[in-house]
Amino acid sequence: MNATIKGFIKKEFIHVLRDKRMWVLLFISPIIQLTLFGYAISNEVHNIRLAVQFAPGDVIAQKLTQRCLASGWFIPAKSGGDPYLLVQSGRAEAVLVAPPGGVTKSLRSGQGEIQVLLDATNMIRARSIEQYIQAIVLEVLLEEFPRQTMQPFLNVDIRVLYNPAMKTAYFLVPGVMVVLLCLLTIIMTSMSIVREREMGTFETLVTAPIHNWEILFGKTLPFVILALAQVTLILIAAVLIFGLPMQGPLWKFYLAALMFICTTVAVGTMISTISRTQQQAMMGSFLFMFPGILLSGMMFPLENMPKVIIGISYLNPLRYFLTLLRNILLKGGDNWVFWTNLSVMAILAVIAIAFSFYRFRQTLD
Amino acid sequence: MNNGFRWGRAFSIARKEIRHVMRDPFTLAWSLGLPLILVVFFGYAIDFNVRDVQLNIADGDKSRASRELLQQFSSSQYFRLKQVNPGQNVRRDLDQERSKGVLVIEPGFGRAVGEGVPASIQLLLDGADNSTVGIILSYVTGIQQATQEKLFGSSRSLPIKLKSRFLFNQEQSSQWFVVPGLVVIVVGLLSVLLTSLTVAREWETGSMELLLSTPVKPLEIILGKLTPYLVLVLIGVGMVYVIARAQFAIPFRGSHTLFIVGIILFLAQCLAQGLLISVMTRQQQSAMMLAFITGLLPTLLLSGFIFPVESMPVFFQYFTYSLAPRWFMVVSRGLFLKGAGIFELAEPMIMLLVLTIITIVIALKYFKKDLEP
Repeated sequence: MNATIKGFIKKEFIHVLRDKRMWVLLFISPIIQLTLFGYAISNEVHNIRLAVQFAPGDVIAQKLTQRCLASGWFIPAKSGGDPYLLVQSGRAEAVLVAPPGGVTKSLRSGQGEIQVLLDATNMIRARSIEQYIQAIVLEVLLEEFPRQTMQPFLNVDIRVLYNPAMKTAYFLVPGVMVVLLCLLTIIMTSMSIVREREMGTFETLVTAPIHNWEILFGKTLPFVILALAQVTLILIAAVLIFGLPMQGPLWKFYLAALMFICTTVAVGTMISTISRTQQQAMMGSFLFMFPGILLSGMMFPLENMPKVIIGISYLNPLRYFLTLLRNILLKGGDNWVFWTNLSVMAILAVIAIAFSFYRFRQTLD
Repeated sequence: MNNGFRWGRAFSIARKEIRHVMRDPFTLAWSLGLPLILVVFFGYAIDFNVRDVQLNIADGDKSRASRELLQQFSSSQYFRLKQVNPGQNVRRDLDQERSKGVLVIEPGFGRAVGEGVPASIQLLLDGADNSTVGIILSYVTGIQQATQEKLFGSSRSLPIKLKSRFLFNQEQSSQWFVVPGLVVIVVGLLSVLLTSLTVAREWETGSMELLLSTPVKPLEIILGKLTPYLVLVLIGVGMVYVIARAQFAIPFRGSHTLFIVGIILFLAQCLAQGLLISVMTRQQQSAMMLAFITGLLPTLLLSGFIFPVESMPVFFQYFTYSLAPRWFMVVSRGLFLKGAGIFELAEPMIMLLVLTIITIVIALKYFKKDLEP
């Protein structure tokens, strides 16, 4: 490697790493984030605030309530008053309302119904709560009417593969990696190039006896290296803290990461060529990142989206990288998946790099 | 010289800032375009009611009973079935991301059903994608019950009916769940980032020193600089509101006054947070990073927007008490869907007020201390 580029890269490293705050942001915040979101975020439904409304002597209703609370999914909410208001004020998420006369009595007469009021503002949660309650009611009633249990039934044995405990952390680690990488490679790269322009030091660079491609290379390579360091850090943290089973080979992981980083650094460079200020660079990056993250399948399943949007998502490098990460980390990196996704990403990378170099040269002239 | 606060001077700063914004197509496009992208995306693209999940069927039984079972699965509309050879490695399609699950029916299933003894089937799901698995799991119980009734007769009907009422969102629509939360996201996203960067830029380029050496008071500078962004964000919120009501027909059942009070409190908190970040970092790149980590990510992930606060571990539940977006989320959903009044929303409103005051006090203190030589 020639001396000019070496010097250039060194300068760029000094630039980024001189700022102590950058160190914190680059290396400590990923760990905090991973831990925070890995532990905090969960799709599981528990801590459901349950209120009940029944007459004091209603034995079966009492049994129902106790069974609900014993299941571990529910926590008691302050009961009493209008059940509708309880839900409206958010004090309860579910209210069991016994039929007039009580559950015990209406079981004997075969009339009446137990009402379940659910807070459906979050409909996903409401649906799960309904199922929990249904299962518990069924269980209690079957105990009361034992002859019913004699009936044969259909047993569905459900096994969740690759992540049997349904740990959210496993599911989120690839997502956190993608977001943090984008942050570093798109936003930071574009902002740092524009910064030189904003400060006027870019002119100095251009007048110096360096080739255009040397400038571009020198400005972007440090970010590629930093990004690789960051991925490594996140991976180690994920394995050590969350016990993420690293199923696939490391070379597949790094090859995928490198391909992705090249694409996003090129995107960052491209954005830098169309923005004049750092603020614009930041905004431009976000305009790319937001749709990118939303259309990657990171949080929301892509399969459900309208056809047009699925079509657009085929252009999204984040989508391929996320698929690769999940496959490599959790499933061991199937060869077919690996090579197809990687080659699509390679095509996107080449296009992005060629285009950004072209634009970069144009802005220099 | 007059040492008091003058609106005129603040206004002049604001006018200068407005020019800045108007000259910069990026800021406009961003603050108006981003809310639009978000609303369109969350309104149209996201549906938590999964349809047509690719499900492989390894039917080793091929009896009347197993066909009946598959009929139940396919008529539910949730799954798209594909028959595979039961002999082969059933996991391969999951490994290759071609299918989300495999339903395995062992030989002898039909006989068990015929004899009336408990029969069982196996469902393997792809756990690498939690978001889909969770939804599929919530469908299985229903299908299981329907199939059971079909195969064994409806003998398990309960002696008492259970009637669920889904309050405030009867149709269980994803849009009703997500779009009211977007108001929070738009404010939290735009305001913290915009203000922290704008003010940090003045520090970085040195023009802040210049401004401070003029007779304009610090408070006037701040108010003048932030007001245009406040207006931009409010326009963004207005857009979300109009689209939510007109396009998605989401009801607004509460009081608009309360809504506006909530927005202003939350917005003030965000702007103060942005100011604090800019004073602390004084450099655009780190300001952006800090705004992203303390503003955007918590707003998106810890506010209860998609992931409910109730599902977090206890420690994190308490931690979210210190996040303004979490409280404003309760207010926004309560007003849109539940028609909650001032009494129902007393707790989140008070918390919002307290957090806003705390942030403003800290930001101003920092800012003043910073000015002293």
